[in-house]
Amino acid sequence: MIYPIEVNDLYYKYEGNLREILNGVNLKVVEGEAVAIVGLSGCGKSTLLYNICGIIPHIYKGEARGQVKIWGKNILDMKLPEIATKVGIVFQDPDTQLFSPTVENEIAFGPENLCVAREEIGLRIERVLKIVNMEKYRLENPNSLSGGQKQLIAIASVLAMETEILLFDEILSQIDHEGKIKIREVIKELKGEGKTIVLIEHDLDNLQIADRVLQLKDGKLEEFKDGETVGLNRA
Amino acid sequence: MNVDPRTKLVIVLCLSTLAIFIKDVLFLNGVLLITIIISLIFKTNMLQILRKIKRLLYVLLAIAVIQSVFSAGGRTLIEVGELVILTTVGLQKGLEFVIRIMIIILSATIITTSNSREIVQGLVQWKLPYEIAFMVSIGIRFLPILIEEIKDSVIAIQLRGIEIEKIPLRERFRVYSYLFTPVFVSTIIRAQKLSMSIEMRGFRAYETRTSYTVLEMSYTDYLVIFSSLLCTSALMYLYVS
Repeated sequence: MIYPIEVNDLYYKYEGNLREILNGVNLKVVEGEAVAIVGLSGCGKSTLLYNICGIIPHIYKGEARGQVKIWGKNILDMKLPEIATKVGIVFQDPDTQLFSPTVENEIAFGPENLCVAREEIGLRIERVLKIVNMEKYRLENPNSLSGGQKQLIAIASVLAMETEILLFDEILSQIDHEGKIKIREVIKELKGEGKTIVLIEHDLDNLQIADRVLQLKDGKLEEFKDGETVGLNRA
Repeated sequence: MNVDPRTKLVIVLCLSTLAIFIKDVLFLNGVLLITIIISLIFKTNMLQILRKIKRLLYVLLAIAVIQSVFSAGGRTLIEVGELVILTTVGLQKGLEFVIRIMIIILSATIITTSNSREIVQGLVQWKLPYEIAFMVSIGIRFLPILIEEIKDSVIAIQLRGIEIEKIPLRERFRVYSYLFTPVFVSTIIRAQKLSMSIEMRGFRAYETRTSYTVLEMSYTDYLVIFSSLLCTSALMYLYVS
């Protein structure tokens, strides 16, 4: 069976570090599944996501062993732009993801890079803005939006690339309560559309979106039991 | 006035060329007046921009004074004993410098009436590589954030009980040097995160890219460009002759 995401016995050590932050991670995510990964700060959750989307080893170097496959293809054999057509990632801080003068330009940036036709880009902008319910902000400067709205635009920008796999790296952590509710709704909708989702979460209340919850502990993934809430938040 | 960003770039180029080429206070005053009128036509927020660069203006004035003092020639205006402090030539050169810089700053405000994506697109349609145009726009976009970060770091220092305004200049420089490391590190981290985000959105995926924003020159644009070039040439000819 070919999985959208397959991680086999992954070990990873950052350059200059003595300790391996990932210590034999195994993960298989089936199509349309939403998997949440929890764990203490600094346990390697984001590192795992960076391995899945190719940021490691294509941008960050380090010592890696094991395999990461996207739809059966090893990410080492793929260039970052090729991975970008298959995997979309939204980061924690929306401020470092938005750089265009208007929301419309921001969303168009990804499809433009992928040489999508202009008319199609227009349709995608309309579509993703509708998904995140931000149609009326199309010509606004992203800088003038609230934290939650910025994160919704960051999500929309990734959605416009129409990737089948979506990775969310603690995207709710800097957002107010209202923003969290909106973003959770958007993730639920994306799950309904059949997207394969991996989300990193710190807040136990946000785990209800996921089909499966895993815990990253001592560099290994294991099934998460709700009793083990040490270091995790419940709002 | 709604014109193409490339037209605005041509106007800025013409005004800046005149500011550098002309070395006569009267002529420069004329160019400054033209620049102000054009800026008003484009409804730039001149006062707000001048307020923002207030500190830079003080530096300009200081340079102008230094230039005045060190440029000899003409009639002596101020002297202390045998030492000539200010001459008419020095005063003229100082004034020229201030006017010249004001023309360049005010003309640059015309560009700010277009958004950075339009400017990038204008440059790309002028065959400038997209990567270069994009880098410039990113630099401009993150400049205010960098300034905010420096301000935050200064506030953090002040909250620890150091009143920067009240300490001697030498000490003040030392305090400011403490800011360098945190601001530099956070800038690098921010740049890294931004580059990750850009790469993950397919930047440089292919040799070319499509563009949702497409600029088209109108007859007004061609007319404005032609008039700008013609007026610039005429003024230069008038000055030389």
